[in-house]
Amino acid sequence: MNGLHGIVFSYEQRNDLKELTEIRSAASIPFGGRYRAIDFSLSNLVNAGCTDVGVVLHGRYQSLLDHLGTGKNWDLSRKRGGLKILPPFAFRQAWGEQAAFRGKMEALSGVRSYLSEIRQDYVALMEGDLVVNLPLSDILEQHIKSGADITAVCGNDSFRVENGTYFQMDDAGRVTDVLYHLNTPRGYRSLEVYILSKELLWNLVDECASHDLTSWRRDVLQSRCETLNIRGWIWGGFAAQIRSVREYYDRSMQILDPTIRKELFCPERPIRAKSADKSSAYIAPSGRCLNSLVADGCSIAGTVENSILFPGVVVEDGTCVRNCVLFKETAVREGAQLAHIIADKNVEVTPGCMMIGQASYPLVISKGSKV
Amino acid sequence: MKKECIAMLLAGGQGSRLYVLTGDMAKPAVPFGGKYRIIDFPLSNCSNSGIDTVGVLTQYRPLELNSYIGNGQPWDMDASTGGVHILPPYLSSEGGSWYKGTANAIYQNIGFADLFDPEYVVILSGDHIYKMDYSKMVERHKESGAACTISVMEVPWCEAPRFGIMSVDGEDNITEFAEKPKEPKSNLASMGIYVFSWKVLRKYLMDDEADPNSENDFGKNIIPKMLADGERLTAYRFEGYWKDVGTLESLWDANMDMLSPESGLDLLDESWPIYSRTFSAPAAYLGEKANVTHSAFNRGSELLGTVENSVLSQGVTVAEGATVSYSVLLPGVTVEPGAVVRYAILGENCHVGKNCHVGATPETVPPEDWGLTVLAPGCQLADGREVPAKTMLDRDGQEVSK
Repeated sequence: MNGLHGIVFSYEQRNDLKELTEIRSAASIPFGGRYRAIDFSLSNLVNAGCTDVGVVLHGRYQSLLDHLGTGKNWDLSRKRGGLKILPPFAFRQAWGEQAAFRGKMEALSGVRSYLSEIRQDYVALMEGDLVVNLPLSDILEQHIKSGADITAVCGNDSFRVENGTYFQMDDAGRVTDVLYHLNTPRGYRSLEVYILSKELLWNLVDECASHDLTSWRRDVLQSRCETLNIRGWIWGGFAAQIRSVREYYDRSMQILDPTIRKELFCPERPIRAKSADKSSAYIAPSGRCLNSLVADGCSIAGTVENSILFPGVVVEDGTCVRNCVLFKETAVREGAQLAHIIADKNVEVTPGCMMIGQASYPLVISKGSKV
Repeated sequence: MKKECIAMLLAGGQGSRLYVLTGDMAKPAVPFGGKYRIIDFPLSNCSNSGIDTVGVLTQYRPLELNSYIGNGQPWDMDASTGGVHILPPYLSSEGGSWYKGTANAIYQNIGFADLFDPEYVVILSGDHIYKMDYSKMVERHKESGAACTISVMEVPWCEAPRFGIMSVDGEDNITEFAEKPKEPKSNLASMGIYVFSWKVLRKYLMDDEADPNSENDFGKNIIPKMLADGERLTAYRFEGYWKDVGTLESLWDANMDMLSPESGLDLLDESWPIYSRTFSAPAAYLGEKANVTHSAFNRGSELLGTVENSVLSQGVTVAEGATVSYSVLLPGVTVEPGAVVRYAILGENCHVGKNCHVGATPETVPPEDWGLTVLAPGCQLADGREVPAKTMLDRDGQEVSK
């Protein structure tokens, strides 16, 4: 079998996502009106013909588990293979304690027996907080053709992301240096998507484990940059890494742009999501909705502009919602006014309430709050 | 595997009064209400009522319906015991035939029902929009000890001649049944939903099949025969929204009812969800100049123009400068700039070219010339085409008469 196996990491990072990750990991953050961040990596894999995906969990994963279910939304509920949930640190945790995530190599060595069972020849490592629509089968083909040990997918920008990794590359596309903790990011931004053969992965995991090395980017990419043939694959399209409120907000607003939406949701590689059985969205005679994404089951009787509404959002008469992202089942009651707000699930904004954030500082309302 | 109660869903009808909309698919597969198909209603009702074994009897153009139902997973009907079963007519060593009537369809599938050795069988049809808890009806059937329970609803007296009408005594036992009576004695109309004690029905189906003069129909043969034999039949009164969507007008009406909660058709009520097979597409986008009011719409749509009093399915595009009003757009319809669509039903994947005019408002044409305009699925209208009110076009854009 000459296919691709997926491993997606979902772990806790520095808490720059604030209230948005109070009850979840970045991988299960709602994005784009009806998705969770991890829908993108899973769909990217499935669209490349991938049938087996392991999801490595670390911290606040109840929400993610609930979202993933058996994996049937991505056709990953299978007799052989399919979705496997991998909690590598379960064995050493005491109740109420959460050890920090020290690195992907440590996590992978915690699921070493799973790795031994991989049926495919190649493995794609991805992160759950990446919102992108990559042609992974093309990337795999290129990986095989180029003879690279590791293919590292990167954006053609040095866009600043929290805890980002950046590559220096030579003219032939080989990665010459791996940088992080940069004050001023430079080079190509890593999307943290890597393709390598399973044998190499096994060797690296065993090597690292035997030297108590935990980090993929420090102990593999950076320190073996000269011995391993690491090649970049540059993606020029939309690629968001959801690691701070600001980035979440800016990236969400970008998908109101039709060209970005067309590329991210291209019909050849559909992004699959869990679907709630909501009825159609409805705009009342008093409602007005411009330049916005509106999911199923929303009901709009007020004014909505430049906003993203997840399923079942209610916007009552006389309200004004501008530049907001409202998660599932949020209700904006009569006469309320919101601008630059990210409201988590089941928020209720009471009648007449006014909350104004700024584009440079969007405000987040925690899940279930009544404002 | 024994089941106390199973359902048999009659989905074989052509739905000839939906004309071009059912050219390629059976009526229960026709899209409804933006994101459903008609069959989602009885299937979801079964699922919500705790009936996990459903036989779907198909005959006319079953491809679309079969592929939609699939393994039944959207309705939670993919369990290892029971689940949804597609039951087409079949050949056997003694020959075989198409389903000759509603009763014959069940007769041909006695073997299916016997697999589950049920006490009760619920007979449903695939052309009604309603939410109903069948378990309550079965409960009442059990309590009454009747051989058959028929759900009925009160209809305005003036409309009674269009229905099968039940006369009942003080305890709601059915005393008389009249199919489309000119002078109705009651205004209790049959909704085409029956609960039978299987042993009794099984015997009547055998007898009915043996009768060469029978039309093998529940309403015409089985029910009158049971009444004549003195079997106990009771009426189960239903209150709530129920609509037969067998005609283009009633299909359009029922879609419009969805826009007004006062009609009684509340699809937002989560205590009784209607499930449907989903479609991968992003949330609907409303453009900077969009003017969408009193309308329903769905995922995968790009609405840049004007939409009023309309129901839009998934994947619909209404370009800037286009106007859609009082219309029902089925999945994948595109309306190009400058086009105007009024009082129309546009079938799946129709394409309305630039500056086309489709349909008209009732005020602008003489009453005898007014009616809904309907385009068959896949119909492609060239730029600038005028399609007057009360017109129906087939897939190739040719006019067809009713």
